[in-house]
Amino acid sequence: MRHLILGSGIAGLQAARAIRSAQPEAAITMLGREPDPLYARPMISHLLEGSVQPSQLELGLPPEVRLISQDEAVAVDAADKTVATQQGRKLAYDRLLIATGADPRGIGAQNTDLENIHFMRTKVQVRDMLEALPGSRRALVLGGGLVGFKAAYGFLRQGLEVTMLIRSEYPLSQQVDPITGGLVRAKLQENGLDVLVGRDVARFEEDGSGRVRGAELTDGTVLDCDVAVVGKGVLPVTGFLQGSGVDVDLGVLVDEEMRTSARDVFAAGDVAEHFDLARDERWVNAIWPEAADQGRIAGLNMTGVPARYPGSLSRNTIRIFDLDLTTCGLVNPPADSGYEILREEDPGRGTYRRLVFLGDRLVGAACVNRIEHAGVLRSLIGSRTPVPCPREDLLRESVHPGGLFPFSR
Amino acid sequence: MRQVVVRPERCVGCMQCMAACAAAHSQSGALAAAIREYPLPGPRVHVGSGRYGEGFPNRCRHCDPAPCMTACLPGAIYRDGNWDTVLIDPSRCINCASCAMACPFGVIRYHRDPWVSPGRAVAVKCDNCLHRRAKGLIPACAEVCKSGALTFQEPDRAMKRRTDEISRRTSGYVDQERSGEEAPGFMLLRQLKKRSGQLAESGRGPR
Ligand SMILES: Cc1cc2nc3c(=O)[nH]c(=O)nc-3n(C[C@H](O)[C@H](O)[C@H](O)COP(=O)(O)OP(=O)(O)OC[C@H]3O[C@@H](n4cnc5c(N)ncnc54)[C@H](O)[C@@H]3O)c2cc1C
Repeated sequence: MRHLILGSGIAGLQAARAIRSAQPEAAITMLGREPDPLYARPMISHLLEGSVQPSQLELGLPPEVRLISQDEAVAVDAADKTVATQQGRKLAYDRLLIATGADPRGIGAQNTDLENIHFMRTKVQVRDMLEALPGSRRALVLGGGLVGFKAAYGFLRQGLEVTMLIRSEYPLSQQVDPITGGLVRAKLQENGLDVLVGRDVARFEEDGSGRVRGAELTDGTVLDCDVAVVGKGVLPVTGFLQGSGVDVDLGVLVDEEMRTSARDVFAAGDVAEHFDLARDERWVNAIWPEAADQGRIAGLNMTGVPARYPGSLSRNTIRIFDLDLTTCGLVNPPADSGYEILREEDPGRGTYRRLVFLGDRLVGAACVNRIEHAGVLRSLIGSRTPVPCPREDLLRESVHPGGLFPFSR
Repeated sequence: MRQVVVRPERCVGCMQCMAACAAAHSQSGALAAAIREYPLPGPRVHVGSGRYGEGFPNRCRHCDPAPCMTACLPGAIYRDGNWDTVLIDPSRCINCASCAMACPFGVIRYHRDPWVSPGRAVAVKCDNCLHRRAKGLIPACAEVCKSGALTFQEPDRAMKRRTDEISRRTSGYVDQERSGEEAPGFMLLRQLKKRSGQLAESGRGPR
């Protein structure tokens, strides 16, 4: 059996591990665009901070996996069972996994091709950012999402003055409610970060030698900066699937076994569009634990071991200075849509908790500080079953699994 | 393999297991000296109160697959196959708390710990007392527990299955591991209903 994995991220790696454990003899080939050996992508922001060594990010491949790096898939022929690559290879497969992940979303501003304007998705990009640091004093971070956030934190740790520019009214607006967003914003400002909301970059300005020098905002303000990072979310990498017979919506559509619409073709990770357990609809949740679990389930099914993936949930864990934040599921439901919200804030202890219910189910949770039991809430959201206790019990700092499930072990 | 088996209904909430666990994971190894250590040793088993105020000893179930393991960004969490134990490598842990959101039991804590990492906060949880096992001793919590809530024994298959189902619900599962057509969550909650019914009958029901 010949297994071909497109993409050398965590989804591809977990699939390779699952395949190898089920089929010691199978041929596994992995095709990856990046020059670096496999690494833990979320850790690249720690490289920027300077808190880890590059080698600490490396992830090992299982035995006997052929890794082709610095080449990329350009076309899939699902009828012929082959993949064509940029460098002219033609790779044949019996089972194919699409695990090409996601690329950063571009922005509409002018002059984004200036030097020292970066995306932060790969080790190479962070290396470039680190090279730009010695001559830099001011950093501009576009986007108040997870990546923007980690970039800003990294720059601050490196001693730069940092301005975070957010189109919405508060940071992490995709993940949290205004109260949590406000706590986060206050914490950032308290630690010297400038946060500008409700604005965006219209145009970057050049310093005369091709480098960025500043940015003109949509409201006409001009900001100085020596380095800029664009963190405006990601989009699944699916362009090479045009005409392949693999159905694509925002991501590659997959079923419970991570199968796509094409025979013997599977997909997993940031590229895959599965079912969201809180939203009750198809959704791309581009996060590490889901990519890892989906890769494993896809790998098992590629070897014929029937395995199922129950669905995904968005979630975040962020530690900003001394503030801990976790979010899971649907924290910010549309107004007037039948969702009920329960919240509790204890300013003295710095804790805040927000729970979102739909009917008798818990569908979303945000916890600020005392986050040790967040996983219990996550588990309850994922179970899609009626909350088995008075709802107020879930506001308690230690939601004890004993109160929810009668484990006998 | 023998494991610590938890029977919450027998717990009397005396918290002796917490003290014994902290002492077992202190530098001195003895309770009297451990309370003077800095940082103060912390327990890896936690007795919380359940829904009706009953004691509930909560401890890592060493799930397989372990959701904390796949969620760990730096790859610090691994399984020791010989002891069927999920362990955290403190030197790789970056204290990011991604595992907090993964653990369906809420048993991971984040602090400086005299046993594994006195100088820097890391994720800390039950290690099945492997250092004691190596000396032929049983886990400290089970040794000290007098009420039978924590016992060191061969887990029966039903117990093991119920625990692993919780983690499978998070991480996906292999079909033949499933017990019938019902999703694991439903099964658990059905049991819960049964139990609250029993509690109501005995006068301890929801207030
Ligand atoms: C800075 C940063 C911080 C993050 N922090 C967190 C966090 O705290 N928690 C969390 O859950 N998630 C976090 N994430 C998201 C997480 O990294 C992703 O969800 C995860 O890496 C997805 O894995 P994947 O294998 O699906 O895709 P990827 O990691 O994107 O891997 C896909 C690989 O395929 C390659 N590729 C693309 N197209 C082709 C092609 N045509 N042919 C061959 N190869 C191709 C890509 O170059 C890439 O190497 C973070 C991401 C970033 C960038």
